[in-house]
Amino acid sequence: MSDHSPDPVDAIDLPRSPTPLPGHHITYLRFLGRGLRLAFTGSWRFYAWMSVLTAIGLVGLNAWGQQLLHGMQVTAMTDHVSWGLYIANFTFGVGLAAGAVMMVIPAYLYDDHDMHDVVIIGEILAVSAIVVCLGFVIVDMGRPDRLWHILPGIGRFHWPVSMLAWDVLVLNGYLLLNLHIVGYLIYMRYLGRRPARRFYLPFVFLSIVWAISIHTVTAFLYQGLGGRPFWNSALLAPRFIVTAFISGPAFVIVLLEVVRRYGGLRFGDGPIVTLSRVMRITVLLNLFMLGSELFTALYAGGAHATSVKYLFFGAHGKHALVPYIWTAVALNVASGVILLSSRSRTSRRWLLAACGCAFVGVYLEKGMGLIIPGFVPSTLHEVVEYTPTLTEWKISAGVWALGLLVLTVALKIGLAVWTGRMRDASTPAPQVAPVDDDAAAEPA
Amino acid sequence: MSDPKRRSLLKAGVAALGAAVLGKQTEDRAEAGHGHHRSGPPGKADHAHPRWGMVIDLDRCTLCSSCTTACRQENNVPSVGPDDDHRGALIEWIGILWQEPEQPGALPTGMPFPCQHCADAPCVKVCPVGATFKSPDGITMQIWDRCIGCRYCMVACPYGRRSFNWEEPEWSGTQVQMLNPDVATRPGGVVEKCTFCHHRIRRLREDAAVEGRELRDEELQRLPACAAACPAEAITFGDLHDPESKVATQARDPRRFQLLDYLGTDPSVIYLKRDRR
Repeated sequence: MSDHSPDPVDAIDLPRSPTPLPGHHITYLRFLGRGLRLAFTGSWRFYAWMSVLTAIGLVGLNAWGQQLLHGMQVTAMTDHVSWGLYIANFTFGVGLAAGAVMMVIPAYLYDDHDMHDVVIIGEILAVSAIVVCLGFVIVDMGRPDRLWHILPGIGRFHWPVSMLAWDVLVLNGYLLLNLHIVGYLIYMRYLGRRPARRFYLPFVFLSIVWAISIHTVTAFLYQGLGGRPFWNSALLAPRFIVTAFISGPAFVIVLLEVVRRYGGLRFGDGPIVTLSRVMRITVLLNLFMLGSELFTALYAGGAHATSVKYLFFGAHGKHALVPYIWTAVALNVASGVILLSSRSRTSRRWLLAACGCAFVGVYLEKGMGLIIPGFVPSTLHEVVEYTPTLTEWKISAGVWALGLLVLTVALKIGLAVWTGRMRDASTPAPQVAPVDDDAAAEPA
Repeated sequence: MSDPKRRSLLKAGVAALGAAVLGKQTEDRAEAGHGHHRSGPPGKADHAHPRWGMVIDLDRCTLCSSCTTACRQENNVPSVGPDDDHRGALIEWIGILWQEPEQPGALPTGMPFPCQHCADAPCVKVCPVGATFKSPDGITMQIWDRCIGCRYCMVACPYGRRSFNWEEPEWSGTQVQMLNPDVATRPGGVVEKCTFCHHRIRRLREDAAVEGRELRDEELQRLPACAAACPAEAITFGDLHDPESKVATQARDPRRFQLLDYLGTDPSVIYLKRDRR
């Protein structure tokens, strides 16, 4: 830690390997094989967790099969409300992926060494969240068999005009960037080698800019549409970034507590303090932006106000979204109050409660609370409501379960390598002894 | 005062003297901004670069729905039944936009409502795979085989004039016999829309080419199925770039308006306001 380097691996002084290693084609395959074995072995808690996720995933897969067989008519979406729960989840997922960068920025831009020790968790979260996003895009497609049409170079990619084409680029780019960073750092740690900065630092800095871009482009999907006054606001992209920096840190704080308990990784309170400081600002900023939007819409009236009125108070005797948005507002206010009180600094339980409130609050507000009112009432003043069907909930749960499966397996392998429990045969034992809990009972 | 730009500007209340100058500027700006499909030489018919358009005279329209039925027949638009209609999954290329009667007890009013074929079409901008595009003659086209079913175009369309196949369309025995072989049926999971009966235009062009002549305005006026079926001759089709054409003449009527014109989409479907009660 003495050399103030932005390299988390420098935290442990790793000696050079005394004996020449076999080629990477051998060691990498061995690394993958051992990782795979680790993904299928663990404590009873691990098996229970993975079984539940797999079961939910299979329910979702079955529901998606029904959707493929019978067409999109199994959803509650209509020609009036042509995007629904899937795109709502997609939007939130992009925010989660972008929010993970709130670990990377302190670690690499502000040389926060405590954050360095755990930054790999944020990068793994980014990968998992992008998997969720891509999953939601695919289940939303009427013709997933034509997925290759939106691959640049292969299909007739309508770039740079279409914001959706941009989204395909930035989301997959962000996925590849983070896969490379995570994969490279973990593999080097597995080999016991010091990672070469030129192989990951440029990508880390690129990923910071990229994280902002993925959520900006996702906001541009909506705010560039003149026919949808509810979205056609310059505040949308900034607000997306702010809410991303609520949901991301909130999820990471909970994740860090879980990792501390079950992952066998030792780290100080620094990262959690930093992240809760970020949330303390962004939660209030989001409420301020909400107030600003409400004022603009309701004071001026007009087309923008119609959707806002429907969202918050209902219109023409229809108010399917009213419970969603008021729950969201209540949770966001609650998280703000808890975070401002001294309890959140002294009590871990209160902090976790604030994170839970903020996460669910943003999920409701940015998902159903943002996507659906854009369609209701339609530009031609028809009020057609949307309530997701059971099939849509099943598929959505399945996609989230897939994301959590990826997150769990990646974290398990990553942490096993990070704590020295899984390492190449020629790698010396780490100076930090693995903690003795059930996750540490893996064959080393 | 037969100049189209002068007429429209007069309607906007601009003094007649300044109208010619302003009109020219407006036209230049529009041509610079909207690509080659509008670039026909002004004041002269050019059937190589027409801008197909439609004028719907609401004074003549009786809301009889002949246009919607004819369109359904012509373009193999699937009927999905009353349940699906109720839940907003009705596929239609031209429908009737019903409006609330102004006084209680009065007859409802409305207007025939096809795709507006905007010069600056939001749906074309957003499609990630280029499945929808502006043809050189100003038609907003859709390639069913390229569409991935993301429905972003439906989100972007301010008029809601795009329909998604929420299920695989089916035609039972005798219905198959009635399908129009000139128009491909669409599979499930793709978006479809009005094409201004593009296949009829193409056939007319081919016939004219064989006979070695230009297209005549008279054969274009009732070319699309909706215009052909209208018993009141409320729908007129033709080349908006040809100032002599009937559609362009009607489009200069002071009663003219475009739907949601403040969005700047510049629809090729122009309505003539209902004056009679």
